[in-house]
Amino acid sequence: MDALIDQLKGEIIEQLNLEDLKKEDIDNEAPLFGEGLGLDSIDALELIVLLEKNYGIKVANPADGKKIFQSIRTMAEFIEANKK
Amino acid sequence: MEAYIKGIGIVSPQNTFDTPDFLTELVEHNSKTLRCIEPSYKEFLNPILSRRMARIIKMSIAASSVCFKDAKIDMPDAIMTGTALGCLEDTEKFLVAIIENDEQFLTPTSFIQSTHNTVSAQIALQLKCMNYNFTYVHKGFSFESAVLDGLMTLAEGDAKNVLVGGHDEISEKYYRVCDRIGYWKKEEQVLTMDLINMESDGSIAGEGASFFVFSNEKTENCYAVLCGIKTIYKPESNAEIETKINELLHTKGLTTNDIDLVVYGINGDARFDKTYNNLKEGIFKNSTATYFKHLCGEYQTSASFALWMAANIIKRQTVPNAVLIGENKSKVIKNVLIYNTFLNTDHSVFLLSQC
Repeated sequence: MDALIDQLKGEIIEQLNLEDLKKEDIDNEAPLFGEGLGLDSIDALELIVLLEKNYGIKVANPADGKKIFQSIRTMAEFIEANKK
Repeated sequence: MEAYIKGIGIVSPQNTFDTPDFLTELVEHNSKTLRCIEPSYKEFLNPILSRRMARIIKMSIAASSVCFKDAKIDMPDAIMTGTALGCLEDTEKFLVAIIENDEQFLTPTSFIQSTHNTVSAQIALQLKCMNYNFTYVHKGFSFESAVLDGLMTLAEGDAKNVLVGGHDEISEKYYRVCDRIGYWKKEEQVLTMDLINMESDGSIAGEGASFFVFSNEKTENCYAVLCGIKTIYKPESNAEIETKINELLHTKGLTTNDIDLVVYGINGDARFDKTYNNLKEGIFKNSTATYFKHLCGEYQTSASFALWMAANIIKRQTVPNAVLIGENKSKVIKNVLIYNTFLNTDHSVFLLSQC
């Protein structure tokens, strides 16, 4: 799980152009949206594409998004559970 | 139609950003691609917003911010920009993504930011400016069209201060594509400061973001009066060019003898520089001759760099050695003409006078 979290942080920094951030600056449990990283709705779309492109996972039900993208750890857990 | 140039902000391949210096410390790129010297954006942009912005958007926002500061205004009554290529790097990014990912997994950011009017829209968003906002995309007439709109808007009395800008960025892919159709020089190495003496075909690629506040109010700090502009599409002869120039001069009661200095768009391309030479050695043989594309490169909105240069020459009454062709024949620089062409297709003339 730790390796996946580390990889995911790198991918998010690159995909969302979070140039000023390093992996260690991102708290595994902190909220991705609003507080924490302060991501917005366009970032949410970017993250959905990232899951599909890098891990082959489609977020079929948009309502699940809130739970999946709560934090880095919840994202990693979702990937772990659904990876093909 | 005329306008006072009240403020200027420019990001270019020279040290032109927010500085009192006027082309004394030159940057010699010695490359066939002249890229802008970018400022630090932290002063102008929230990092959360800027992370999604391409270079050209950031350069333009920084240049327009400096322009407003220079003009001492907070909010323009209108925004008009000209760009031939728009946000080229982002356009390329999402087109490449479409191809590489077999039309799947398209991310929204580069698509959203890729439209030609992103720059003027982002400037308006930063300012929360709900006023008239227009982007002209007319190849070598893009900036000229924005200038014309600015002049007409002021003439109609709809606005006091308008922001007029020209911006284009160079990318590696655009350079390569245009290289194949003969835009650029084929020599391995080009000494940019020696561009005027080159006798081969092609030019050097450039880019820039230049913004001006045009106003119908004269203030102490105004640079110059922009007295008029004329565009000429594919002129058939030198006589036609001269006729059009004279038409513009006559609107202000001037003749070619009244022009103290001419800024030529000489770009080192042997195919097209003869147009400038005909003017330089003909109707403007008594005027001081200057040029600018060895400093900023060739791009469709490069006349905006020339306008910055001409306005500064008039305000400071100084002609930098780096732009002089031959000797400075003028003790006082009252009237300046800019003559520029992109690929000998889109020709434009700007007339400026001392305030």
